[in-house]
This record gives sequence, structure tokens and C-alpha cells, in this order.
Amino acid sequence: MAPLLEIRAARRDFATPEGGKICALDGVDLDVGANEFVTLLGPSGCGKTTLLRAISGFEMLDSGTIQLGGADLTALPPFRRPVNTVFQSYALFGHITVARNVGYALEVAGVAKAQRDVEVAETLEKVGLAGMGTRRPSQLSGGQRQRVALARAIIAKPKLLLLDEPLSALDRNLRQQMQIELKNLQHRLGIAFIFVTHDQEEALTMSDRIVVMRAGAIEQIGTPRDIYRHPRNRFVAEFIGETNLFAVTVDRLEGDTALARTAEGVEVLLPADGRKAGERLTAILRPADFTIAAQGIPGTVTRAVYLGSDLHLSVAPEAGGPDISVAIRDGLGVGEGTRLHLAHDPARVHVLEDA
Amino acid sequence: MRNPWGWVALTAFSLLFFTFIYAPLFVIIGYSFNSNPVNMMIWEGFTFDWYTGLFGLSDRATGVGNRAAYIESTDQMLAALRTSLTVALFTTTISTVIGTATAIALARYRFRGRGAYNGFLMMPMMMPDIVLGIGLLIFFVTLGMQLSLLTIIIGHCTFLTSYVFIIVQARMAGLDPALEEASADLGASEWTTLRKVLLPQLAPGIMGGALLAFVISMDDLVITYFISGVGDTTLPVFIFGMIRRGVKPEINAIATLIILASVIIAALGLWLRSRKID
Repeated sequence: MAPLLEIRAARRDFATPEGGKICALDGVDLDVGANEFVTLLGPSGCGKTTLLRAISGFEMLDSGTIQLGGADLTALPPFRRPVNTVFQSYALFGHITVARNVGYALEVAGVAKAQRDVEVAETLEKVGLAGMGTRRPSQLSGGQRQRVALARAIIAKPKLLLLDEPLSALDRNLRQQMQIELKNLQHRLGIAFIFVTHDQEEALTMSDRIVVMRAGAIEQIGTPRDIYRHPRNRFVAEFIGETNLFAVTVDRLEGDTALARTAEGVEVLLPADGRKAGERLTAILRPADFTIAAQGIPGTVTRAVYLGSDLHLSVAPEAGGPDISVAIRDGLGVGEGTRLHLAHDPARVHVLEDA
Repeated sequence: MRNPWGWVALTAFSLLFFTFIYAPLFVIIGYSFNSNPVNMMIWEGFTFDWYTGLFGLSDRATGVGNRAAYIESTDQMLAALRTSLTVALFTTTISTVIGTATAIALARYRFRGRGAYNGFLMMPMMMPDIVLGIGLLIFFVTLGMQLSLLTIIIGHCTFLTSYVFIIVQARMAGLDPALEEASADLGASEWTTLRKVLLPQLAPGIMGGALLAFVISMDDLVITYFISGVGDTTLPVFIFGMIRRGVKPEINAIATLIILASVIIAALGLWLRSRKID
């Protein structure tokens, strides 16, 4: 089956005030399936918002095409595109009630008042705002405004909903709650979501697939697990979650395991598969991949942060080199200044060949 | 501890300040009820005569309404008021439409010479009235236009548009561009967005600009003096003519009525502003 959204070779340049050019989209290809939750993730200026605005029609592409369900959207103005957006600032209309905000798409489309009222009530119910229709947006809390923006964007039943960092204004607890609700809502509605964020935790929590972007180009597309466990390059590895990168040279092979060393002499164990001594590569280990053991990398704890479920440690290797981030479950008796050995399972190491 | 004398000084200063601003107004209001027809600084008794006289209802009138002694008549004054209102209504409407449209265009579209355009719009506000008045007069005469109601309206529009523009622009600057995008995103054409989102959001600014334009148009003497035709005297020009023959008690009555009208308009404006949208 053809994907719902097909973006091909999308390109968009912006002129800078100095007369130069910034490439916001540098030949982006992206497919999004019906009922898929896709997150565009990247640092600010990576082109994720431009890509979203190109889909909604607020940015026109210099070249490339955008198709939705087989229909070409590339040249259509925003109001002719069957996609809806939840804006970062919510962009609620302050001069009309919540109900009229939510029913705006239907009102504009010429749906009769009676029909509109029924659908508005249903949609408010869906986002947990039943009975709030007569209020003004200014009388609502931040979380409630967020829900109104959501209700307003889904009432016309778009096949694709675009969300531009919609949770960034909410406090942490509310944000986590909304993440789960959004995911549930997406399942219930059965429509595709494209969600823009710079918060990698948010991306990991909610997405079916994550699109990691940098400098107008896609660095990697994959499931959260893929992206986290098998980043394609340093950028993705460092952007998603805390990472320990070791630039190592393979020293020798011992059965299934290859022993590699950093320039300073920190020892990392890798799966052997066809490695040769003298090979240079980057080994990636996540903080949770380490355990405290009798043997392993010797080091001293320089910083210990208690986070409730985990204890986060910075460990300075005895051999030298950058501190290693470690997350352990049971850190009883471990504190700043503790000397310990860090062990890891070679199978947990992800290897980048491009080092 | 704060210095108590500081408070005393500040309070005294404030009182003096407001006295200085408002005393002349209260003096005029007081005089307008003084029945002494010759020297209004000497209180003779309370009277409504000057008000009733304005409308030709009193025999005791000294100026307006007393056809035998003075040229000014009630009919002339009412005609001047009518001219002023006509001019103000037309100029307010025209300059509000143009000023609002310009503010929207300058805020939402990027084009060559945008900065210069902005500067040119400020110019009529900075320009001394007398220069503007003479300039307009020469302009109309060069074009061979007869001075009339039309020339007053055109003249007023040239500078009132700037006032409306400034006020609507301020409102526009505070508006989230995402509002219009949200409207378009939900299927509204540009026209629908203008009608259903942009204009309602700008309404307080537009109303404020229109009220200001109305008040300035009603009030303008210098420019109007140059560009009004013989038969098209506005109220300020009419009052100015009366004063040249001495300050008559009726002028105090007219002034008091104008103060009253201004207060009502200002209160209306403040009320509109306080109705917070968003």
C-alpha cells in the first residue's frame, strides 16, 4: 500500500540578511504511513519546523513534491490542504468562545449550526473538555488551552495532524500526561501524526518512528529502539540520550570478543565479528550498559546524582580521557570519590565504522 | 524609611500639575453659567441663558442668536457644527479604512521600500499644521479645485490616516501571526481570515484610531482654516471667527458643550480599550 504522505526531494532555501543563503531543507525524502506517529527531531535550526510548515503550506518548496493520499499538495495554499496543525503558541482566537474556536473549521466550511454544535460537543468530550464550550480561551489554564488547540485541529477529521512542539509550554508533569494522552488519541482517531520536537525523551516516548534531522537533511529514520541502540553516526548517537563515545583501536581478538583501547588506554570489549587488529572505530555505550563489577574499567566517581529510580554517576577512568556517564539501579555505598570498576556486556556495544 | 517630605513634594507636584491642566477648563465651565454679560470675571448669578441663547431660545443673548447685534446666528453655528460632523464622519471612515489596510499590509508583507513607506506615513504627523495647511491650499489651487467640503475632507484624510495607521500598527505588532495561520490551516480563505480573525482581533485598535481621528478632525483649526471654502465653515473656524470679535459668554457655553462631548467620546474610547480581547 502506498504511504499516506510522500515527500520527495524537498528543497527550501532562505535568504539571510547578509545576502547569503541558508538551506533549511536540503533534498528531504520522507514517507509517512496512515495512522503512523512520526516525530521530527533535531536541534533548533535543523529544518524540522520548515518541513512541517512545508507540509501545512506555510512554506512553499523551492523544488520537490509533497503528495497526500496520492493528491499533489505542492502548489496548494494552506487553506486547500486537508491537514491541520496544532501550533506551538496554540494560536487560539481570543475573541470567540472555546466552542466557536473548536468549530471554526466547520463554520468556515459552511456546516450548519446544529450539526456544528453536535460535533463540537463530541470533540470537546474527546479531549476531556466537555462543558467548557462557553468559556473564553483566556479563562483556561495552559493545559486546557492545549486541549482546545487539539480539538480545533481534529474536528475536521484530517488524515494527517501536524503538531509543532505543542507541549513545550507545559510543565513537566502535565507534559508527560499529555504525551500519553496524545498517543492514545492518535490510536483512537486512527490518523497519522507528525510531531515536531527538540526533546529526545518526548520523541522516544511517543513515536512509532523518529526522523532525526540536522542542517536541513535527514540523518536517520527509525523506530525509537533503532535510533537509540543503533545510531547511524555520532550526531544521532549524541543527540538521542546520554552517550559514551570511545574512539578505539582494536588491540587483539579473544574468541568471540575483540579487545579495543582508546588512545588513553581505556579498554572496551566488542563482539569479534570479523574485526581485525589495528582497526579504528567508535564504540558507543549507553549509561545503563555499565555495571559495577570486580573487574573492568577502573575509575573514580567524580559526581553522583540521585534521580530516584537511578543513580547517575560520572566516572573518571584511571587511564584518563573524558568522564564516563553511568546509570545504575542500586548504588548503595557509591558516592563521590568511590573507586570502582565498570564492566559491560560486549553485545551491548554499538559500533560506528566511520571513525 | 522613606523620606516623608518626598511624598509631600510628589503629592504637591501632582496636584499642581493637574490644577494647571484642568483649571482653565473649569474656569470656562464656571463662566458659562455666569449671568454677567459684560465682565465674565465678576460673578453675577447663575444662568442657563447662554446655552438657551445658543439655540435662539433666549432674548438675553449677546452674540449668537441676536441677529441685530452680531453676524453670527444660531443657524450659522448649527451649520458649522453640521459641517464639522460631516467632515469628521467622512474623514474618520476614509482614514480608518486606509490606515487599517496600510497597517496590515506593512506588517504582513515584505516589499521594496517598506521602511521608506513607513517613514513617509509618519511625516504628516510631524509636519507643522501651518505648513500642511499652506501646502494643501497651494496643491488644491494648482489643481484648479474649488475649496469646498471635499477639499476639507481630502485635507483631513492626509494626516488622519497616519494617526489611525500608528494605532492599528501597534495593535498589529502585538498580534501572534500564528492566529492567521491557524485560520488558514482550518480552511479559511484570506478574505474569511480577515473578516473572522484579523479584524475582530484588531478591533480595539481600529476603534481607538477612529475615535482619535474623529476628535482631531472635529478639533482641527489651522489646516481647515486654509482649505475650507467660504460656505463651509467648521465649528473651530466659526468659534475662531467669533473670538476675533471678543470673547462672548456664548463661547463659554459652546466650549463647555464641546468639553462634555469630548469627555463622552474619551470615556467611550477608554471603555472600548478596557474590553480586553484575548
